[in-house]
Amino acid sequence: MPAFRILIIESDQQESAELQQLIQQWEYKSTAESISPASTLCAPNVDAALKSFDPFPPNLVIFGPVAARETPSESVRQLRQSMGLEPVPILAVQEVQENPAEPLYLADCDDILTKPYSRSLVELKLVAIRRFGEFSRSLMAQRDRLRRHHADFLQEQANAREIFGNLGNESCLDDTPAIRYHLSPRAVLNGDLLAATYSPDGKLVLMLGDFAGHGLAAAVGAVPLTSIFYSMIPRGFSFGRVAREINRKLHDILPRQMFCCLAIMEFDPRRQHLRIMNAGMPSPCLQRGDGSLLMIESRHLPLGVLPSDHVDSAIVNVRISSGDRLFLWSDGIHEARNGRGEHFGEARLLSLLQSEWPDGEQVFERILLAVNAHAAEQHDDLSLVELDLTDPGLLRGGSLPQEVAGGRKGTPIGDWSIRFRLCHAELRQADPLPQLLSVVMQMPGAARFQEDLAIALGELFRNALEHGVLELDSSIKGMDDGFVRYYDLMAERRSQLDSGWVSISLSCLEGEAGGSLSLVVEDSGKGFSGVRDTGSVYSGRGLELLRTVCSELHYSAGSSRVEAIIRWQAEPDAKSEGATQAEYNAIQNPSVPV
Amino acid sequence: MVVSERFESRVSSEVSDGGDELVIRVAGNFDFNIHRDFQRAYRNVSPAPKVFLVDLSATEHLDSAALGMLLLLRDYCVELGHEGERPRVELMNANAHVSHILHVSNFDQIFSIC
Repeated sequence: MPAFRILIIESDQQESAELQQLIQQWEYKSTAESISPASTLCAPNVDAALKSFDPFPPNLVIFGPVAARETPSESVRQLRQSMGLEPVPILAVQEVQENPAEPLYLADCDDILTKPYSRSLVELKLVAIRRFGEFSRSLMAQRDRLRRHHADFLQEQANAREIFGNLGNESCLDDTPAIRYHLSPRAVLNGDLLAATYSPDGKLVLMLGDFAGHGLAAAVGAVPLTSIFYSMIPRGFSFGRVAREINRKLHDILPRQMFCCLAIMEFDPRRQHLRIMNAGMPSPCLQRGDGSLLMIESRHLPLGVLPSDHVDSAIVNVRISSGDRLFLWSDGIHEARNGRGEHFGEARLLSLLQSEWPDGEQVFERILLAVNAHAAEQHDDLSLVELDLTDPGLLRGGSLPQEVAGGRKGTPIGDWSIRFRLCHAELRQADPLPQLLSVVMQMPGAARFQEDLAIALGELFRNALEHGVLELDSSIKGMDDGFVRYYDLMAERRSQLDSGWVSISLSCLEGEAGGSLSLVVEDSGKGFSGVRDTGSVYSGRGLELLRTVCSELHYSAGSSRVEAIIRWQAEPDAKSEGATQAEYNAIQNPSVPV
Repeated sequence: MVVSERFESRVSSEVSDGGDELVIRVAGNFDFNIHRDFQRAYRNVSPAPKVFLVDLSATEHLDSAALGMLLLLRDYCVELGHEGERPRVELMNANAHVSHILHVSNFDQIFSIC
């Protein structure tokens, strides 16, 4: 413990010596039971006292009887000001026989010592002052510690904010005007998270999540969430599979009371097919082109609550028609409170969507304005996403991640073939496209046909599974609620599958003039019936899509075999450059994964 | 100088039904601010009750932190289940707003609500 320093200001040497002697006889026992003496210093006047502060910052100042009479009020104030933040009591010695009105500045002092001195009274006063001093010092120390912690905390928040910001770097949110979003600047504090990217066959996958938990904890949870999302979706994993993986991971790493509410949607702009799953988020709203609203209610527990999950039953399938828009939001909008504590609420939100419908372009801004106007104090604590589902801007080539696609465009492809056969056990759950694609994309030059292949493979596999193995009839989709029933039926039959297979083989040939990739898919089903016209085989849309990406398409009645051929012309420069040739060799040697 | 402000606790609990039930009542906002009180209400109750009844009749609002606290209570019951009979958690008397939140989060799948 530092010594207790007492500064005596007294011009009369005898008086100051008497005071000093009095103080030195005093023994102070601190609360920690250690005995610590007080040290004293004498200064003849305030000026000298001010100069002594540097080596001797006092804990207590005592004006002797003569100085107490002679020092003007301003000097006492000046003294107090220069003693800094920590309170230093000032005592004045007053002689008892003196006329009490005489010292003018008593108001500037904290207390008096009376003379003749009573030793016990002086000691009592010194002990009280010293205790007070210790108390205020510990308060100051605590305050400083709090300040440091707060500064650290702000720094951590800034770090979390940066992590959060960087996590969004891979998103395709800013690539198209069809997606509009507002993410709260306080996103780090309320744990909102938005991510979007394309699958290799050109489907847009977007998720809006809300972590229960705040600040760093939420940012920590966001890291695996986004890394799973941005690594699996572009590799072609279905979003249901990705949601399962996210759930598993979050359950493994998060503390029990933390979880993530998540709305995740996959939109195929070519097939006009929206699949969406809501796990604990406020219902996203599909505003139909005709003005009606469809709420996608939460049908699933938030992710990270249970160790394993059947997300597929919570997925809603919707066929999109012209003018459809999807709105997603976090509970910040619903729970924004006005001065009377009323929530903004879903009802206000929906009436806004209904009443402003003719002026569709403005709805996004109006929601934000209305919520901000409603929530007098609590600004910007909300996330809002609007997707114009029929905007052609959503039609975009999917692309594999850089490290997979590599800049291998232009290098020769070579001759190779692979064959896969999936049995009923795999077909219940399996998502064969990502594995197939990842193998194929290792091939040099694969970037040239990857999107076409992803689309063709997806269509043919779906056809084999849905119509061949599961014997689903596309005409169901034509009925009123058929679209939804079709997918419910598919999930049901798939989960009960106990026989059947799908085989997929790919072979690639390349010559001087160009190359071709042949894709053959067969299944255990009855095959195409002769009666059905081609339109119903792929329910129209699928066939159209296949024709656009494939050069040839062969199938025949009575057989389940479908062959699709993708052709390309040789690029004249491909082989002439030495560097390319070297790269070709380098890549070709290790990469025979089959 | 006000060194600390003391809030009146919004969590109360009582044992009923001959010691088989522990009723935990949460008044006002069920949020992060009461997490200590809430945990204190159900931990170290001896003997362990067969049912933890969370009475939400006086609960005005419930946020995601509260859902997290309910998950912790559920976990605590699993823990107790290792030693003997596993207690149940039941939520009761939720108002419309609170029921809606429980429904949206699908917590009605893992808690019985009466």
